[in-house]
Amino acid sequence: MAEAPAPPSRVTYDFVTRAVARTLGNPGKGYYALLGGAVGLLAIGIVCLLLLLRYGLGLAGYSHPVYWAVYITCFVFWVGIAHSGTLISAILFLFRSGWRTAVYRTAEAMTVFAVMTAGLFPLIHIGRQWYLYWLIPYPNERGLWPNFKSPLIWDEFAIGTYFTVSSVFLIMGLIPDIAAVRDVATGWRKKLYAITAVGWRGTNEQWRHYTRGYLYLAALATPLVLSVHSVVSWDFAMAIVPGWHATIFAPYFVAGAIYSGVAMVITLLVPIRKLFRLEELITGHHFENLAKLCLLTGMIVAYAYCVEYFTAWFGGNPNERAAFWYRAFGPFWWASWTMIICNAFLPQLLWFKTIRTNILALFVISIFVNIGMWFERFVIIVVSLAGEPFTTWTNATYNATWADWGIMAGSFGWFFMWFLLFVKNFPAVSISEVKEVLPPPRRASRAVHA
Amino acid sequence: MGEPMERRRFLKVLGVTGGGAALLSGCGIGPEPTEKLIPYLIPPEDQVPGTPTYYATTCRECPAGCGLHAKVREGRVVKLEGNPESPINHGRLCPRGQAGLQGLYNPDRVAGPLERTGDGQWKPIAWDDAIGRVAANVKGARGKGIVFVTGHESGAFGELVDEWMRQVGGRHVIYEPFAFEALREGNRLAFGTSAVPWYDFANARYLVSFGADFLDTWVSPVGYQNGFARAHGFQAGRDASMAKFVFVGPRLSLTGMNADEWIAAAPGTEGLLALAMASVIVRERLAPVPSDAARLASLLSRHAPAQVASAVGIEPSVIARLAREFAASKGGLAVAGGIAAQYPNGAAIVAAANILNYVAGTVGKTVKFGPNDSLGGAGAGSFQQMADLVSDMEAGKVAVLLVHGANPAHSLPGAFSQAIAKVGFKVGFSPYLDETAAAADLILPDLHPLEQWNDARPRAGLFALLQPVMQPVFPDARHTGDVLLRASGRDQTFQEYLQGRWRELHRRHGGGKSFEQFWSEALQHGGVYGEAPLQPVRLASGVAQLTATPPALAGGPGETVLTVFPSIGLYDGRGANKPWLQELPDPVSKITWHAWVEVHPATAARWGVTNGDFLLLKSPYGAVKAPVWITPGVRPDVLAAATGQGHTAYGRYAKDRSGNAFELLSSAPNGYGGRTFSVAVSVVKTGEHRRLATAEGDPRELGAHNVEVLPLGRARQLKSGERAFEEHEAPAYAERALEDWAAAQHEKASLGNYAGEHPRWGLAIDLATCTGCSACVTACYAENNIATVGEELVVRRRVMSWMRVERYYTGGEHGEPVGAVVTPMLCQQCGNAPCEPVCPVFAAYHTADGLNGQVYNRCVGTRYCSNNCPYKVRYFNWYNFAEQGGEWESWPAPLDMLLNPDVTVREKGVMEKCTFCVQRIRGAQNRARLEDRTVRDGEIVPACAQACPSEAIVFGDLHDRRSRVSELAQDPRGYHVLAGLNTKPAITYLAKVVHDG
Amino acid sequence: MTKRCGRSAAGIAVVVFMASPLAAQNGQPQEARTARVISDTGRLKGPRQPIFFRHDVHAGQSRIPCMYCHASVAVSSEPGIPAVQTCFGCHQLITGSTDEHKAEIKKVQQAWIGKQPPQWIRVHALPGFVRFPHMRHIKALGTQACATCHGQVERMPQVYQVSTLKMGWCVNCHVRSGVSRDCTLCHY
Repeated sequence: MAEAPAPPSRVTYDFVTRAVARTLGNPGKGYYALLGGAVGLLAIGIVCLLLLLRYGLGLAGYSHPVYWAVYITCFVFWVGIAHSGTLISAILFLFRSGWRTAVYRTAEAMTVFAVMTAGLFPLIHIGRQWYLYWLIPYPNERGLWPNFKSPLIWDEFAIGTYFTVSSVFLIMGLIPDIAAVRDVATGWRKKLYAITAVGWRGTNEQWRHYTRGYLYLAALATPLVLSVHSVVSWDFAMAIVPGWHATIFAPYFVAGAIYSGVAMVITLLVPIRKLFRLEELITGHHFENLAKLCLLTGMIVAYAYCVEYFTAWFGGNPNERAAFWYRAFGPFWWASWTMIICNAFLPQLLWFKTIRTNILALFVISIFVNIGMWFERFVIIVVSLAGEPFTTWTNATYNATWADWGIMAGSFGWFFMWFLLFVKNFPAVSISEVKEVLPPPRRASRAVHA
Repeated sequence: MGEPMERRRFLKVLGVTGGGAALLSGCGIGPEPTEKLIPYLIPPEDQVPGTPTYYATTCRECPAGCGLHAKVREGRVVKLEGNPESPINHGRLCPRGQAGLQGLYNPDRVAGPLERTGDGQWKPIAWDDAIGRVAANVKGARGKGIVFVTGHESGAFGELVDEWMRQVGGRHVIYEPFAFEALREGNRLAFGTSAVPWYDFANARYLVSFGADFLDTWVSPVGYQNGFARAHGFQAGRDASMAKFVFVGPRLSLTGMNADEWIAAAPGTEGLLALAMASVIVRERLAPVPSDAARLASLLSRHAPAQVASAVGIEPSVIARLAREFAASKGGLAVAGGIAAQYPNGAAIVAAANILNYVAGTVGKTVKFGPNDSLGGAGAGSFQQMADLVSDMEAGKVAVLLVHGANPAHSLPGAFSQAIAKVGFKVGFSPYLDETAAAADLILPDLHPLEQWNDARPRAGLFALLQPVMQPVFPDARHTGDVLLRASGRDQTFQEYLQGRWRELHRRHGGGKSFEQFWSEALQHGGVYGEAPLQPVRLASGVAQLTATPPALAGGPGETVLTVFPSIGLYDGRGANKPWLQELPDPVSKITWHAWVEVHPATAARWGVTNGDFLLLKSPYGAVKAPVWITPGVRPDVLAAATGQGHTAYGRYAKDRSGNAFELLSSAPNGYGGRTFSVAVSVVKTGEHRRLATAEGDPRELGAHNVEVLPLGRARQLKSGERAFEEHEAPAYAERALEDWAAAQHEKASLGNYAGEHPRWGLAIDLATCTGCSACVTACYAENNIATVGEELVVRRRVMSWMRVERYYTGGEHGEPVGAVVTPMLCQQCGNAPCEPVCPVFAAYHTADGLNGQVYNRCVGTRYCSNNCPYKVRYFNWYNFAEQGGEWESWPAPLDMLLNPDVTVREKGVMEKCTFCVQRIRGAQNRARLEDRTVRDGEIVPACAQACPSEAIVFGDLHDRRSRVSELAQDPRGYHVLAGLNTKPAITYLAKVVHDG
Repeated sequence: MTKRCGRSAAGIAVVVFMASPLAAQNGQPQEARTARVISDTGRLKGPRQPIFFRHDVHAGQSRIPCMYCHASVAVSSEPGIPAVQTCFGCHQLITGSTDEHKAEIKKVQQAWIGKQPPQWIRVHALPGFVRFPHMRHIKALGTQACATCHGQVERMPQVYQVSTLKMGWCVNCHVRSGVSRDCTLCHY
């Protein structure tokens, strides 16, 4: 990635601090409206979940043999969303691509909250939620342990690790900025920041340790980008279901994850930029780079689709062929084609600079990609199960119910609630790192030298 | 979780300790809420708590009279199985028989005597008052017409009714909606006897059925299926095996599905075909024709193939071929009845089939007069009697009507229901509030046959006993026999009356034993089984005047022939309030919980209707709405609908479920005093639509070879040790490695040991004898506490049935004849199971004896195992089907008393599946251990294998080289479903064998 | 049915008459096994039963073998609890020494006469999804092995649960005695 050109001269260290600190100011109507909406959705989800717990999973749209459906789809979707955060913050950091500085904080926060959301779904979708702890290895007098052969157990560890590392990474990155806003903040917030800044004074020594530590953490987080979604993909690849059982799944899923993640970053940044008037900090240049990343991963995903169908045909396995024929032309053709159009065709528009640099166009495309990626998981999970060709007797239809949609809506509410609370209470843009790519001020201003 | 409730309830009835049907408690490990242990006052003899006791009795779900073994645990019946000693059913039992249990524990049973008050409400009445009212009314009605309607009664109860009616000057009307009048009249026409012979299917070499659904409901389905399986099944080395079976009829019934050749003759022309075959045999001297057949000459010459072929709608050459094959087999058997004998000329058709048998010389060989069925003879009821009764009622000539074991208000909806209003005093003895009982003034609930003394004579020479196998579920119900004896002022219980009658039996069959000994032995064996001598029959004199010409069935233009046939599960409707039967997919249509009308694809295309579109069928007698089910198994010019649904009363499972096909039928008897079950209807599209509550996926296999078929020639050539179906899990170079690996897997998975033995349990299913009758399905429901989920959830594809019978249509697409193949699909207990490694908590795991164990109380319900199961035989508890009073409750009290105490009732959120009846395996292992021996081959019989009327399922230890199952696993016809996935299933299917060409 | 029950009643009554004197002579008081006098039943462990049936008197002092009352334990998964008839078989002769005993025994006799069996509180209960075949354990450990799980019942005036009856407890024993731990041994 190219180095970032120096932003307009009026963007000084001081300006950055003020600009970011301003985002933490008293929220306006728009903010409350959004937050209210998020909490409302969450409430819907909670009600549905309670009903689910009382009456059983029958309330959801499952049928025999479609035993995994919307909930697992959402699980994979949210895990996927998480990925780009780590990519942008860790990998691009290691690659020293300066443009990331303005956007990585948002992406990182998104990662943490997305993982938090994804983590809920395995709990929601199992039959006896109150026994979830049986999946955790703990010594007991019965001498019972989880089955480490089961990909679901791998999942549990992958997600657990990912959540830990990414949240540590986020919090650590926050420290200098919190210190910065601490110094301008007042009231209860000052106390909050005073604690969370863990006594950061910005001394050279602190900076030396900090940067070194941040580097190691980035190095630690980097492999997770690849490993986590690979493990998730093995939930499917390890099974014998035609349409799941494919060696391509790990890279295919990782690419898809980053793809959807980047799309989600765009979807989030556009309104935030507007809402907090950060146009100077988050410039079209950033969006263009994100768009390029989107295009790249999009191409990989499109390639993966082709490979899937090709191997199904070329492999000559009648079951594989039947499965993919069913996928493309069966009763769920609409889902498959939604996915292909949204993920493979629409992003081709990003080849054009005019579109890449048009924020609105980007916003729209990113939303379509999000939809497409959700449908990708839906197609892989539901359609493969519904049309499983081993015995034609069990071919079934599937209709999602309010319980599915309600809890899915709830997950979005849950995610956006956390995200909105975050951006209002913590610097959504990295003050210190943005400053790193600014020309140092001519004379040491009184401005906080964070 | 309701479980203590359940337990306490049956304690109240019976007072006993021990584990009732145990419910998987939500709170996991740990003592359950305080339970009470209520001891017996007096311990019942021959019952050990925790160990089942079996009592022999007789099934009364249909007139066949199969022998039963009632499995009793802690004083309550928990399962019905066939009595191996009974010559009727050879220890096998059909779904209806097994579901008798749900009649016994039916939540809609009438608890005690009720009388109708002025405002039409029911109010309880004391027995003495009730009986007093009956006696008084009967006394007062002397001469004004007293009629006692019963179902088919061949035993003591029937005679008691006769006696009483004689005493009070009334008459006894026997009424069965399907009463086989045509069969009796046809035999009279041909042989001058109205007896119904015993058809020896087992020894037939060639079978022609003119519509007789002997695998569905006809006469004695279980026994006949058992015989059919012996004759029609394939046994290498036995030339007599694989008798060819030709089915003639407008609809591909379950019986038709099992035919090697289906001839969809035009409705009503079956008789012509039979006569034509006979004429060929006589003309070509294919069999030593009896001397008196000469008098047939004119009749047969009038029915040469060339003359009838066009009417029948097939080539003359086909008729000639059939005749030659039939005669050449030297052991043919032609049966006529059911759907083919329900036309106005039904009797003639039966007579024609008799003539065919006669000229082929099979009468006396496979058609055995002498051991006659109780359905025959003068005593048997006919529709004529019922019709007369109805007209008498209309004319006000009936003052008192007593109804027992019959529901004419349902099967004669219009006529009877109107007529009954004109009857002064009506008494119902039904244990349920069915349509007829609902119209009565007084209901004196009878005991369920499993609670009462009685006997039956299903066949000449056989005397079957019914004994109470448990104390009455509703203590205030009373045996109608006792009631009648009281009402007729006789100081005697029905048990004593019955024993009185058995004393004369004792004189004839006692063989020097004391009566007590004779009696208790009879109780032990379920009756006395003698042999009735064969009676030779000659042609009747008038036989030559037989006219088999078909009647004009399709009335005016735009009308279509509708044939109404008895539902396999619900029969004439008496099964409709039993959830097992409602949820049992119809063996042919696979539809549950509602009625349907069968339409040929071409016809459907012409009318522009699809599956689930409602048609309004209008006949001159009534109109019924039914959803379309499109099937190639019916003639394009014929519609078919089953009876059984459309109750307006009878109980929560039966009431208001779609239409009642009886409403379309005429209530006037036809020429031979029977009922005409086919009628011309006009069809109107209503525009309504519903998703059929079907268990069917794709009606065709679409190239997935899960049901393998061998041509007879090929099957005969197979040497032992050969494999007809090569199974390649992997390229040759990898085979060995894979096998070793799988073996190692299996060894690794084998924890612990059972008294040092390491069996591998396996199953062999012979598709050559499996007919798809679905007896195994109900057996599985009964044995394993499988929940019935109801219509809505069936539509949403949440049937819990561990055992599903898949039915795939074959042929018919390019003009070739339509056929069907069936296969029972259940957990294959793979040696290398995909479900096991993916379970995160070892709820699905491999047991030491090679089962895919499923630990319900460990399962958290990730459902990954099911996703990874290629056979899709794992079922998930979407709701808590055992929740007392819950929306999805599957066992409302007292139905929960039939739960098997040896099997956990699964909670919501857990996966369940077939485990080869592991409870029976462990039980046998426990017994063996107590006797310091190992389990014997054949000692363990899973419920499905136990019930199978065809004896198609064999269970045993695959590691024991001498066991029957490992023998069959080596059978050249053997194959594994989806073997290509290297799952190493423990179930070996033996390919179906079909006649060449 | 009733008829057969009648016959069985006769049959068992005979057994009882043969058995009861035998039980009596076994019941010679022995210092070692003399059941103590209970003044305050409220202090006793375990649930209070409708009739203060003292195992320490029957099994301890009188040395009546467990299987005299729990007859099916060696042949069936269920040990069975004695029918009122069994109690009455002895107690129509044995009316008790002290007033307390007399009072309790009276309840038994009333139960028999009033045809109202006592509703015992279940002490040892397993969850519904556990199968425990008593006979297998008796077969392996012998008829004296009841104490292994039920404790020194012959010293308990009022029976209480001594073992946790939790899965770990079962498994430990199965491990120690080297018998199978296969899940479907007990869970199906």
